[in-house]
Amino acid sequence: MTDLNTQITQSADQQLVSAASNEVIIDLSKVNKWYGTFHVLKDIDLVVHKGERIVVCGPSGSGKSTLIRCINHLEEHHEGNIVVDGITLDKNLKHIDHIRTEVGMVFQSFNLFPHLTILENLTLGPIWVRKMPKAEAEANAMMYLERVKIPEQADKYPGQLSGGQQQRVAIARSLCMNPKIMLFDEPTSALDPEMIKEVLDVMVELADTGMTMIVVTHEMGFAKTIADRVIFMDDGDIVEENEPNAFFNNPQHERTKLFLSQIL
Amino acid sequence: MAIVTKEKTPPREAPLSNKSLIGWLRLNLFSSVFNTILSIVTLYIIYITAEGLLVWGVIDAVWIADTRRACFAINLDGACWAGIISWLDNIFYGRYPREELWRINLGFFLLVIWMAPLWLPRVKAKVTIGLTTVFLYPFLAGYLFAGGDKGIFMQIMYSAAILCLTGNTLHAVIGVVTGKGLPEFLMKFIGKSAVSEKGQRNILFGILGICFAAIYILQMGSSLESVTWTKWGGLFLTFVISGVGIASALPGGIILALGRRSKLPIIRVLSTAFIELFRSVPLITVLFMATTMFPLFLPEGFVLNKLTQVIIAVCLFNACYMAETVRAGLQAIPNGQYEGAHTIGLGYWGTMGFIIMPQALKHMIPNIVGSFIGILKDTTLVSIIGLFDILGMLRSISRDTPWLGLHKEPLVFGAMLFFLICFAMSKYSRRLETKLSTDHKN
Repeated sequence: MTDLNTQITQSADQQLVSAASNEVIIDLSKVNKWYGTFHVLKDIDLVVHKGERIVVCGPSGSGKSTLIRCINHLEEHHEGNIVVDGITLDKNLKHIDHIRTEVGMVFQSFNLFPHLTILENLTLGPIWVRKMPKAEAEANAMMYLERVKIPEQADKYPGQLSGGQQQRVAIARSLCMNPKIMLFDEPTSALDPEMIKEVLDVMVELADTGMTMIVVTHEMGFAKTIADRVIFMDDGDIVEENEPNAFFNNPQHERTKLFLSQIL
Repeated sequence: MAIVTKEKTPPREAPLSNKSLIGWLRLNLFSSVFNTILSIVTLYIIYITAEGLLVWGVIDAVWIADTRRACFAINLDGACWAGIISWLDNIFYGRYPREELWRINLGFFLLVIWMAPLWLPRVKAKVTIGLTTVFLYPFLAGYLFAGGDKGIFMQIMYSAAILCLTGNTLHAVIGVVTGKGLPEFLMKFIGKSAVSEKGQRNILFGILGICFAAIYILQMGSSLESVTWTKWGGLFLTFVISGVGIASALPGGIILALGRRSKLPIIRVLSTAFIELFRSVPLITVLFMATTMFPLFLPEGFVLNKLTQVIIAVCLFNACYMAETVRAGLQAIPNGQYEGAHTIGLGYWGTMGFIIMPQALKHMIPNIVGSFIGILKDTTLVSIIGLFDILGMLRSISRDTPWLGLHKEPLVFGAMLFFLICFAMSKYSRRLETKLSTDHKN
């Protein structure tokens, strides 16, 4: 793992130029959530600017996945306010549907549709949600498959692809909806080591295009390369939040120090 | 120390088992003393059973005779198939007027024509064809079978069905020949393939409207003689009841299953109560209830005939069973599929229609076809409440004067008929399963 981390850091060599602007695109204030009686998110405040790239890390059960799943309402928050792209997340289903078309998400377990071909996986959303003509949607999908470097797999089914390829298809599927924000929920945790790199490469390229990204990951090399900010969560709190150099070289909080000593 | 293999190992012949019949026999049937004894005993039992059946049913059987007495005169120990042969028309069509039988035959022939495109490889839009079969064919067949005066609703549906059948068939022929769909072909034919998608759609709707009007006017002039339901019977009636039951079970089951999993408490409770009510009562009870209770719920002066009551009862009963099958399929779909669908912006119906249902139904094909086979066999219960379906017809042979007391042969014939139909269905479901499989587990 350490080898890989250094590799990626070296290949990109220097920190990517930040594309962050002043425009706020995600605004969480005093967000609380419980699973039954378990308090999983505690008074979370987080502001993300357009083009900003954020890496969220922390031990398992710290609430980092729940946090980003709240942003596109896969999980419902119980208290506080979440505003995405100017729209407040509330009970209104139209708001939820609208936000989901603007926010792409990539999962640990890919969640591709096994009964559809790769191309159909990519065009389903654009055709039925974005109402794009079929030919245009397919051309668009092929363009994104080129970008994740697997255009030759278009007519296969997900079950015929390797894990790394499936995850790249999942990234392409989200991009086909032309989202403003991309969420990644441990995108490389289910992959073999040699496949992690191909997925991270695609994500680095994506970061290079100025996409707003929130990534939950344990790939610290990747965090160093692309992050504008690293957030460390523990027990439902944001414990520490800093730009990557300072975060990795000079952690402030005891829990951060402990976590970094275990993982690096 | 290095190990180097210098020479290639030459291929050898496969071991005995995979090569010859004798090898297979020796490995599978006679591999040990106990196995050999078991095989010999089993083969002997099969032999005496099959021999008895063969002698009774084929060798000693009487095929041509006028009465059962004549059968006995020729051979006392053999089967008297002559009775079945002279009753064949009754077994298949019941007491349907003999000069109108072409309507039944045409009806089933049209069903084959309608569904044939589903099996042809190059035809597109198979889902649409399947849906039209379920929703429009019943009107066409219903009118062909029943005849009589068409109401305005029936006239519209009848015309729509004819239009659809014609369209389907043309679509299939064009598909097989050119690999294109009917709309695409039409556009090219009238030279409008460059028009925008919306423009093309308008032209298509125009053509569709004109064709519909033409068929509507044409069909007004023709009418068929009315044949009341009391004359329906035999295998034909069995197919009508079970056909409607099968066609409505799946849509009904899907709706009930979705209702049972709904987030709205009222819909959930109502669906659950409905499903559990019908599932905890035997079909025969439901049939008796239908024929005695339905009239109580209906407005005064509104009379449903017995056949309609029975068909409604069969539909409701089977929809409830199907609902549980569909629900089991839904529960097998991992949560990630819902989440994946939500993140590309699909709402409830999009998620269900494109992502969840196709997978759930595919998982459940063996169970669904199992229920279909069950429906076909269960409909024989209607003979108990006085409809002359195939079982009713087979049993009334023994009450016909020339064939008095002929019990065994009709039932054996019925069993063979049911076996053929059900076995074909289950074979087909296996094929469908392999064909639709995209899991690539092996």
